[in-house]
Amino acid sequence: MMNKIKRGVSLYSYSGEYGRTMDLEDCFKDMYDMGATGIEILANSHIDSYPDLSDEYLEKWRYLCNKYHIEPVEYGHWIDTRLYKNRLIGDEEAREKLINDFKIANKLGFRILRTKLGVIDGQLTPVENWRELIKSVLPEAEKYNVIMCPEIHLPSVLTDKFVADYVDFIEETGTKYFGLNIDLSVFQNRFDIPGVTVYAPDCKHSQPEDIIPLLPYVKCIHAKFNKMDDDFNELTIPYKEIINVLKEEKWEGYLISEYEGENKDIPGYVSHELRKQHVMLKRLLGY
Amino acid sequence: MLEAEVIQYRGFHNIEENGEVIGFQVCVRNNYYRGVWLSQLRPGRVVVDGEIFPWDTIIWNINGKDYTTSEMEERGDVFWRITDVATLKVMKKGGLAQGFHDVTVRFGVSCSYMPPEIDTFDDNAEYNTFFGGTYTRRMIIV
Repeated sequence: MMNKIKRGVSLYSYSGEYGRTMDLEDCFKDMYDMGATGIEILANSHIDSYPDLSDEYLEKWRYLCNKYHIEPVEYGHWIDTRLYKNRLIGDEEAREKLINDFKIANKLGFRILRTKLGVIDGQLTPVENWRELIKSVLPEAEKYNVIMCPEIHLPSVLTDKFVADYVDFIEETGTKYFGLNIDLSVFQNRFDIPGVTVYAPDCKHSQPEDIIPLLPYVKCIHAKFNKMDDDFNELTIPYKEIINVLKEEKWEGYLISEYEGENKDIPGYVSHELRKQHVMLKRLLGY
Repeated sequence: MLEAEVIQYRGFHNIEENGEVIGFQVCVRNNYYRGVWLSQLRPGRVVVDGEIFPWDTIIWNINGKDYTTSEMEERGDVFWRITDVATLKVMKKGGLAQGFHDVTVRFGVSCSYMPPEIDTFDDNAEYNTFFGGTYTRRMIIV
């Protein structure tokens, strides 16, 4: 039987070392050690010919995925709405950039996109015209077979109005090319652990069961983690309860590790933390 | 691969043109975790041994091309990758003297997914965030 919940890694985790003490292949090697089978890249960080896709990169990408048995899972990209100092990005300009990302993602073998929208306030409410923007590229998303997924991240919670708006949009349009990426930071309930970077100390958090009604729309989950202990427990996010909900609800997809803790620039530190987290995930998943 | 510090030792030297030293250059990597379009860049001042070179007098060379700061503001189509350095060219007749120099560079980037009130860069303040700030390194001109 195929395992329904799979383990992957976002190269964001390595951002303190990438390009300095680790290259692309080092990341793949590290993931292979952990038995992670899926990868998230950030287009704007990990494609060395971006915003173009060079033949050399494509060739290297296919070689690495094949050699280390890693499948492309999620392609991170942005709609940088505040592109200019004194004005917002134009509609056509945004469309062009989105379609360019669809093409690259498609060539690299990605189906799920983590589409990071610009926001307008401290609760991370997306820009007012997000519906028009997304609608304007749905035909191209279908053509290149990619699903745009905004990320729900702390300090937002799953019951925020804009999350319901995303679901309504999917239901109203009936589109298969827009979904959700939940970042497990929305469940973070400890902000007092030494060594945990706290961006929003007073922020609310969601309960594990809050994710249930959203699961049909959730294409990918960011397994955010801040601090592991040496008994392989994550200290800030209730992983056991969350994984249980996902298993009970028979959710299928990837948990993509995203390290957000300290010491990211110390060589080897994140690799070690990722291994600890994957011990935890293997134990909780039971495989 | 690049050096871990934002200010790179490699690439720091005086600039000679037609037999005359007209200034110096210093290379920086982007400390943000993703590359940015030039219009998202917020260039700041360069300071060498206390001497301030204002932000709008500095030429940024990215992908082998020179840009003034006002040219960069309009380039939402040119991309600075995190694996490439930007070469900052600073005009100073005679360049920098042989020996040690304390070099500071300030710059930041705009990120639209952060709340607007924190998505700012201040060239007059010394601070560090994950999307920009003040970087200093002791450097040598040979």
